[in-house]
Amino acid sequence: MIILNKIISFYYREYKLNLSGFQDILTNIIFFFVSIFIFIFSIGPDKETISSIGIGIVWTLLLLSSTLSLRKFYQDDFENGNLLIMHLNGLSFGFIAILKTFSHFIFVQVPFLLSIPIASILLNIAKNELLYLFSSFAIGSFILSCLGSISSSMNLMNQRNFLLGSVIVMIFSVPIIIFSVGIVNLEENFNSLISILFGILLIVFAINPWASGLCLKLSLENN
Amino acid sequence: MMFLVNPSKFNKVADYVFLPVLISSIILFSIGLIFVFYLSPDDYQQGSTVRIMYVHVPSAWLALLTYAIMTLYSIAGLAFRIPFGFIINTAVAPIGAVFTLICIISGSLWGKPMWGTWWVWDARLTSVAILFIIYLIIIFMNLSFENRIIREKVVAIFVLVGSINLPIVKFSVDWWNTLHQPATISKLSKPSIDPSMMIPLIIMTFAFIMVGLTIAILRIKTEIISRKSNLS
Repeated sequence: MIILNKIISFYYREYKLNLSGFQDILTNIIFFFVSIFIFIFSIGPDKETISSIGIGIVWTLLLLSSTLSLRKFYQDDFENGNLLIMHLNGLSFGFIAILKTFSHFIFVQVPFLLSIPIASILLNIAKNELLYLFSSFAIGSFILSCLGSISSSMNLMNQRNFLLGSVIVMIFSVPIIIFSVGIVNLEENFNSLISILFGILLIVFAINPWASGLCLKLSLENN
Repeated sequence: MMFLVNPSKFNKVADYVFLPVLISSIILFSIGLIFVFYLSPDDYQQGSTVRIMYVHVPSAWLALLTYAIMTLYSIAGLAFRIPFGFIINTAVAPIGAVFTLICIISGSLWGKPMWGTWWVWDARLTSVAILFIIYLIIIFMNLSFENRIIREKVVAIFVLVGSINLPIVKFSVDWWNTLHQPATISKLSKPSIDPSMMIPLIIMTFAFIMVGLTIAILRIKTEIISRKSNLS
């Protein structure tokens, strides 16, 4: 019961933090749409071209704009000492990583998920393709959250090279992109590709608390 | 076998071994190059370009082998708290990156006359390119952290997470139907390569191993010295 109270208060705190910093989330979304505009301006407004490469553009830009906010994943809590207080209150580092991953998924990735239909109108994506895109991003965004947790906890003490975290996420998200874009191109293989994505999700979700918990512990010990 | 995990014993063994390894690398390389250029036959289809194989294949094997060694030593360093594992990680990563780069460049030089392009988005080529970028990230991580204790452990964790790419590189030619040919030698059945090409390939492989070992010994000794004097 006590642990449930702790989890609820953790999410209440995350909710208040994200509500007060709502413009951050909104800026992410605006970045996503502005980059769609730039893509369209750079390849020309031809309908056929846009709809043939639309899915790839949406996935690439979702990946790029969700890696933008990675620096805030643990950095603020680490610098003002909240991470240590949570740990002293009896949450293990791995459990903090799991909770933070879910919170990142809810407060950063779900707004992207909701803005996909609008983007699909802009990029002229067909309705059945939108369903595939939506379901693949619902799974893929959670994988991105787990990868983001790993990379941002690795780079907590990295004072010189901030971009390294985004590069780590992007290099590990190559298989996710391959399989999620493959869902749209190979519609008859929907079930098998979704199963592969789900398998990747389970692997990454199993690695996440171990790797990011160890990195958080190291950074707090040697701060 | 304690010299594989103990820095001072490694230093002693390396002092004995270094000169023989250096000399044998020179000898093996010269014998191998003579074999490659004069004694091995031309391929009936590819003509003289088949000789690129004697550089391409050993460097690809060694790129994978280097990463596998780094993975083993990361497990040793994290799980059994052997600091020598972190020394190996720091010292060996640039060697693996250079072998991967040699593999990619020689492969694209071979691909231009045979396939008609420098680069295709084939599964094997893509996964090797990802391996190269993982090596680069390891090197950059080694350069960008200020605290040594955090740096070595974080790099070890990253090496373990990135080792998921190794089986993908190895089996990519079997899992996807691609342009790159499947394994010819490192498979369970008998190698489907003629002995006249197999012998120079094996000699070149050992020559590459010896060159890599020479550089590795030098780099590991430098790393041990710099740690003793707290330079990094």
